[in-house]
Amino acid sequence: MKTFLKYLIISVSAFVVLTGCTPKMVTKAEAFPGMYNEKPRSLLVMPPINESTAADAKDYYATTIEVPLAFHGFYVFPYELTSDVLKQQGIYDSELLYDMPLNKFYEYFGADAVLFTKIKKWDTSYMVLASNLTVSIDAEIKSTRSSQVLWKYNGTVVVDLSGGGNSGGGLAGLIANAVATAINTAAADYTTYAKQANGRFVGSIPYGYYHPGYLKDQQVQLVDQTPAD
Amino acid sequence: MKKILMTMLAVAALLMSGCAGKKPMYEYAGYSESFYNLKQNGDAQATERWKTTLEESIELSNAQAIRIPPGVNANLGYLYLKINSTDKAIFYFEAEKKLYPESTVFMEKLIKKAELMKESKGNS
Repeated sequence: MKTFLKYLIISVSAFVVLTGCTPKMVTKAEAFPGMYNEKPRSLLVMPPINESTAADAKDYYATTIEVPLAFHGFYVFPYELTSDVLKQQGIYDSELLYDMPLNKFYEYFGADAVLFTKIKKWDTSYMVLASNLTVSIDAEIKSTRSSQVLWKYNGTVVVDLSGGGNSGGGLAGLIANAVATAINTAAADYTTYAKQANGRFVGSIPYGYYHPGYLKDQQVQLVDQTPAD
Repeated sequence: MKKILMTMLAVAALLMSGCAGKKPMYEYAGYSESFYNLKQNGDAQATERWKTTLEESIELSNAQAIRIPPGVNANLGYLYLKINSTDKAIFYFEAEKKLYPESTVFMEKLIKKAELMKESKGNS
């Protein structure tokens, strides 16, 4: 009996500690009911809205998003083609479209929904002994029928470029680190981290029609991480 | 003892065959990297690499009898449209439409455009 009590106390306290640490969880169905109601099969990727200081981030980021969404089960319109068509229609800036009715995209492309992405950060911050590379993306799927937001999430990846906190080597080491940072932050690296940021948010989208998990993931638990605004 | 061993072997065989038979969902053949290179350089060499990537994706998909990824046929059609190879362009736009009915509205617009280009070529 005494041992039983001991186990009980241990397990209860473990439970308290564990639940105390876990972030707020929601199911996919609770977080994004619109996705399950409207069941969009096709996604049109809009030109990214660039709020970062890197002028070329828009074009480069756009090349990373199509593949993960397709693997998640969606028919994704080919961005190279659709972005050219939008340009010919005079649409360069997705920000202007954000609050407009989106039924035009259903009429012109037959797209069920539109993906807006916002590049919040795409930069390297230098500190005295370390530097960080941050890629932060906000994303939203909006219906072309109702213009409602069906899904939204934020994916941020921060990478320490100074080689895992190994600060040995004095001044020479510091200079070596600075050189390594300059080499490390070639444009291609940003797309690598953009892909990681994408990986974080794409996983939270309810599966699309071509995925075996389509309409079977309502109860999957997610960390509640929708953008605050 | 022998029975247990046999069962274990059977389970192992089952697990292994389960793994070996699993096909990838899509074969993209380095699509993102090639697309990035196209955006970064945008020259004839990058365009050629983009074309090769798309063709490889189709070959690899067909070899494994899996679905060609969304947009691959359409992108290839668009490359042909840009160099006035309208018949080839129409062929690939039709392929995209057949594989993904979600693309029907857009592909039909592109096919119409290719047909108009073909007509004006014939008249001139």
